[in-house]
Amino acid sequence: MSITSFAFLCSFAVVLALYYLIPKRIQWMFLLLVSILYFLTAGEPWLMLYPAAAITIVYAGALYIDGVKEPKRRKTALSLVVVFCLLLLIILKYCNFGIYTYNALAMRIFPGSSLLTTVQLPVPLGISFYTLALLGYLFDVYYEIGKPQRNFLKFALFGLYFPVIVSGPILRYRDMEDQLYASHKMDFKQVTYGLQRMVWGFFKKLVIAERLALIVGTVFGNYRSYAGLYIPLAAIGFAFQLYTDFSGGMDIVLGLSEALGIRVAENFRTPYFSRSIQEFWRRWHITLGEWLKDYLFYPLLRTATFGHLQEACKKRFGKKTGKKIATFVPMFLLWFAVGMWHGGAWKFIIGSGLLHWCYIVCGELLIPLWTKIKAFFRLGADSLFLKGWQQLRTFLLVCAGFVFFRAESFSEGCRMYGAMFSVWNPQILWDGSLLSLGLDAIEAGLAILALIVLLTVSLLQQKEGLRDRIARRNIVVRWVIWYALLFSVILFGYYGPEYSAAEFIYQGF
Amino acid sequence: MTRETIYERLNAVFQDVFDDEEITVNDATTSADIEDWDSLEHINLVAAVEKEFGLKFTMGQVVTMKNVGEMVDIILKSIG
Repeated sequence: MSITSFAFLCSFAVVLALYYLIPKRIQWMFLLLVSILYFLTAGEPWLMLYPAAAITIVYAGALYIDGVKEPKRRKTALSLVVVFCLLLLIILKYCNFGIYTYNALAMRIFPGSSLLTTVQLPVPLGISFYTLALLGYLFDVYYEIGKPQRNFLKFALFGLYFPVIVSGPILRYRDMEDQLYASHKMDFKQVTYGLQRMVWGFFKKLVIAERLALIVGTVFGNYRSYAGLYIPLAAIGFAFQLYTDFSGGMDIVLGLSEALGIRVAENFRTPYFSRSIQEFWRRWHITLGEWLKDYLFYPLLRTATFGHLQEACKKRFGKKTGKKIATFVPMFLLWFAVGMWHGGAWKFIIGSGLLHWCYIVCGELLIPLWTKIKAFFRLGADSLFLKGWQQLRTFLLVCAGFVFFRAESFSEGCRMYGAMFSVWNPQILWDGSLLSLGLDAIEAGLAILALIVLLTVSLLQQKEGLRDRIARRNIVVRWVIWYALLFSVILFGYYGPEYSAAEFIYQGF
Repeated sequence: MTRETIYERLNAVFQDVFDDEEITVNDATTSADIEDWDSLEHINLVAAVEKEFGLKFTMGQVVTMKNVGEMVDIILKSIG
């Protein structure tokens, strides 16, 4: 059951009413019950066994690690639990990636050798999200950042909390423990703010993302007929589709949770305003970046091997440059992990992983050149031109990676780049060809208008939360704004069968 | 060792790591106050502080310390 479906929204209304009517001390138990019911009804019920096993193992592992003082035993317990959880994830999500890669290598190195057949394993809902959340909790206990949760049912709620189970954000136990199990009084402002945020999420998802999906799907599904300029335009369209789809989903999730009195970490901070790739990843899918930084990147940088590498690089290239060059190795592993997280396919590993690593490495190596160029044109750090150029450059680099991300495969992505440079067709910008991609003039106009609304809201949000600004206005202005938004979703939203929009792109991850 | 002595040595470490002799830090200094203090430099800084004071931060401390004041508290606690 998608969180944009009519059935889900009706169910949520009942859940919300009951949540504030029942005794406050059992609210968390009610949330656990709802989360289990959601999981059981959203897919094959038996798949619940996977998160149940992961939750049980991590729960027991954390208690054991907390109770043991001997470092070796703590480390062994941590390793066993991490391997168990990652094995489940790898077998269910990355099995076919291994098979495809083996077959591709076998065909090239030993032509004619027998190939492996792929397997279709049923995957439980949100496996990547709950696995990372559970492992983050375990690492926190191991690093003595937090104490373990002794109540198994309370811990199960952390692992299964229904608003975030499908597409995140990735929860951090230390941010959630005070909220998940606390009593929540009905707060009108909180519930209203939550619902308002949900409506904004629906606007992004149903009015913008679903509309752009038509154009993007036409070009990416048939790039041989739509070569040349169609391809970069479709990549830019996909950038907005993916952002509105994913961040719209997050608005709905965060709004749902806020209405329940539980604040969940933000996953986006207007990422397309970033001035560098590094900044982009601090503003796009923030909880994934934070998780990988704390539990993969930092531990890698703290290894003795990295220390030796850094010393060797400093001796060879000088202190400043050597320090930088040494970090390229752990950064490669980090970006490989970012790509892998998106899925077991080279199009993800390269498009949203290693290509970004290349951008950062090139950016670091070109710093002396950029410094000279900026000095030559007398561009200060606060120059508006420089800021605009850096934002545009970062956006286009991200879009370049999205070509692989959205293509059927990495090799198809390469072919699309070939098709892009095979024709020079700027006339499509004015001869009406763009209106043959799935949206007529009115629909395209609506999409542009909705994108302007998105841009305006994003700019206004830079200074202060928009809901606070609207709440300070008089009742007529407030009602006009929120009803206009609600009715624009109802009237202009793209709905699928049974009023259930297509699935979220990030749901599969 | 007093807090003041620690700050004297810490300032030198910060100046060396961030290659800026103007830097002086206090209890409230955070990564937002120093332009180059990103996640990479954070680890370089931690390693340099460890070397200067002959101690080892735990991974939990590395991840959770919010400002220089917390770093000094840990140093004081470790070396007495």
